[in-house]
Amino acid sequence: MGRIWTMTAADLKQRIRDRSVIIFAIVVPLALMGILNLIIGGAEEGTELGDMTVAASVPQGDASADGVLSALEGIEGLSITVNQVDEDRARADARDGTATVGLLIPEGFGAGLSSGEGCDVTVIEGDGAGLEGQVLTSVLTGIVDRFAAATVATQAAGALGVPAADLQDIAQDVTTAAPSISLTDGQASDEQLSDSGALVAGQAGLFLLFTVGFGVLSLNAERDQGTLPRLLSMPMRPSAVLISKGLVSFLLGIVATTILLVAGGLMFDVNFGSLPAVALLVLSVVTAATSLMFVIARVAKTAEQANIAQSIIAVTLGVAGGAFFPLAASGLLGRLLDLNPVAAFIRGLGITSGGGGVADIAGPVLIMFGFAVVVGVISRLVPDRGTSL
Amino acid sequence: MAGDEDQVGDTRGAVDDVLVVDGLSRRFGELRAVDEVSFRIAPGETYGLLGPNGAGKTTTISMVAGLIRADAGTVRVAGQRMSPSHPQPKRHIGLVPQDLAIYPELSARENLVFFGRLQGMGGADLKGRVQEVLELIGLADRAKDKSKNFSGGMKRRLNIGIGLLHEPHLLILDEPTVGVDPQSRNSILESVERLSTAGMAVLYTTHYMEEAERLCDRIGIIDTGRIQAEGTRDELIRLTGGVDQIRLAGTGDLTHAIESLRELPAVEQVDHDGLALRLTVHGAPTAVAEIVTRATGAGMSLADVEITRPDLESVFLQLTGKALRD
Ligand SMILES: Nc1ncnc2c1ncn2[C@@H]1O[C@H](COP(=O)(O)OP(=O)(O)OP(=O)(O)O)[C@@H](O)[C@H]1O
Ligand SMILES: [Mg+2]
Repeated sequence: MGRIWTMTAADLKQRIRDRSVIIFAIVVPLALMGILNLIIGGAEEGTELGDMTVAASVPQGDASADGVLSALEGIEGLSITVNQVDEDRARADARDGTATVGLLIPEGFGAGLSSGEGCDVTVIEGDGAGLEGQVLTSVLTGIVDRFAAATVATQAAGALGVPAADLQDIAQDVTTAAPSISLTDGQASDEQLSDSGALVAGQAGLFLLFTVGFGVLSLNAERDQGTLPRLLSMPMRPSAVLISKGLVSFLLGIVATTILLVAGGLMFDVNFGSLPAVALLVLSVVTAATSLMFVIARVAKTAEQANIAQSIIAVTLGVAGGAFFPLAASGLLGRLLDLNPVAAFIRGLGITSGGGGVADIAGPVLIMFGFAVVVGVISRLVPDRGTSL
Repeated sequence: MAGDEDQVGDTRGAVDDVLVVDGLSRRFGELRAVDEVSFRIAPGETYGLLGPNGAGKTTTISMVAGLIRADAGTVRVAGQRMSPSHPQPKRHIGLVPQDLAIYPELSARENLVFFGRLQGMGGADLKGRVQEVLELIGLADRAKDKSKNFSGGMKRRLNIGIGLLHEPHLLILDEPTVGVDPQSRNSILESVERLSTAGMAVLYTTHYMEEAERLCDRIGIIDTGRIQAEGTRDELIRLTGGVDQIRLAGTGDLTHAIESLRELPAVEQVDHDGLALRLTVHGAPTAVAEIVTRATGAGMSLADVEITRPDLESVFLQLTGKALRD
């Protein structure tokens, strides 16, 4: 073990010194993420929450009803305009899309609240109200519920029972909870990643397939440059060399992928969710990627061949896995695509960022470890043209 | 050492030999890269494998050092059987590969320390030994520089230094002077000579006949995977019936001189080519004085005397029908 660690440490030292791994495993993918994010950023702008208008019909002189409106307008980060109109107009505006939603607060709203009897508030969501409509509906529901709860609890008749600041928090809570609605709608799990999240996950998965090459594929380089004979003349099993190269790949892969997820997450404001679950995903995808390198190292006759083969495989798996855009296929092809470790990794991150834990990512994790085992066996079976003399 | 023995091989004491190679063979597809090669090296002896490109030198060495498997035959180092799956006997060898086996991003000292650790060394022992070797190979003042910034000769010296670090019983050098300027080459040859004097057994491959002649106690001439002949330099030359040539240029009574010279036992043949006499002689250096005396005594006035001795190049030519270098 001492010798294995000696080789691993020396390899890491050299890779860090020649800077290649820092450039290709971290700087380039981060730069690419930035560029790609700018490109998709334009498209994403449109799906972000735009201006919202509420056509509200409100009873005259009802302080509680006015409180609801001012709470609505005061929500930070949302641009909401409230137009006070009569009931019919509110319905009509909501239907034809002049307003995002229509809000009908009946007479006696404030009195109903303070007496604890309650009353019905109607929210009308027109066709094409879209995401904004959903958000506004849930915001309004939240505000009204809180009003009811607060006023009943304090029994503060006819007055605002909740401080304005508090209301903002409530509204904020509701708005930020909005994505969980789409989750319960049962969409495909990888769609739970935002565009930026998918970008970070995809690029991390793609570049991992390059990063792990710095370990195992240096076997081919050492054979070419002449250090492999010397290593094999040392008093240790030849497998020690293989193990140390695998370890270098593995460690570089773990570190680079972690940095990419953390830095990418910070840069583009993506939260991948449960730390242990994400760590397990990183561990599995790095294991899968490393196993692939052993096949390449053995089949390739030279370091150059190995690097070309690696690039082809990395780009193929990356694109098929959805590193640049989600790829959908059905039937056999679809199932094959699902077995791709990059795809499994992105899918897994989709689950964790949607709130999934370790138990929820069993599928992707099994695919990645299964891939590693199968490919590991294949690497023992293919003719060894590159890692022995 | 083995210098005075006429017959080499099985008659030599097997017990103390550092290296015993017996019937070693290796094919690559249809090609017999190494074909039933056998030789032995005693402690303190330098053994040369002399042969042209593709003769099978590196393949032989790769089996001796346990890097690749032999199809047939055995290698014993310090009495232990060598094979790729047995780490233990590898402690006894220090391999200096034909290609530069150093890491360019590591300094001279880091390269030495790295391979020292893999040899199982550590602590003060390793530190002290690294310093010794750095001084031995003349890189003590450049110890901290990355080896990628070294000259070709410095890299070669470091390459050799790594092989010596753990003071192996057998040092294996595979064409260590290829692509090296004459000065570095000389310093490499000198250090091999010093090591040999200090008692280290050396296996040295080369396609330079001068190196083999200068360094090696015994030489195996290898071609197309087979050892064609083996022995000391003199033995090899004698094996091919090699005799010296002496050319006497001059004027006077040449006919009388020829008659007189033919009486000498060392002289095998005398020819006359117009201006000079050509003598085929056994042991020219010792016979030359007598020859000159006879020739002048017979009335010849000498203008020039030239001795030509056969070398390994001519031995190789005679054994294989081709030149050592292309
Ligand atoms: N791994 C290999 N696969 C196929 N053929 C090989 C391999 N290694 C060596 N050979 C062939 O075996 C023969 C002997 O090669 P080897 O390297 O032992 O020669 P050498 O005497 O060291 O030559 P040089 O002076 O050029 O280093 C050559 O014909 C070479 O092409
Ligand atoms: Mg060679």
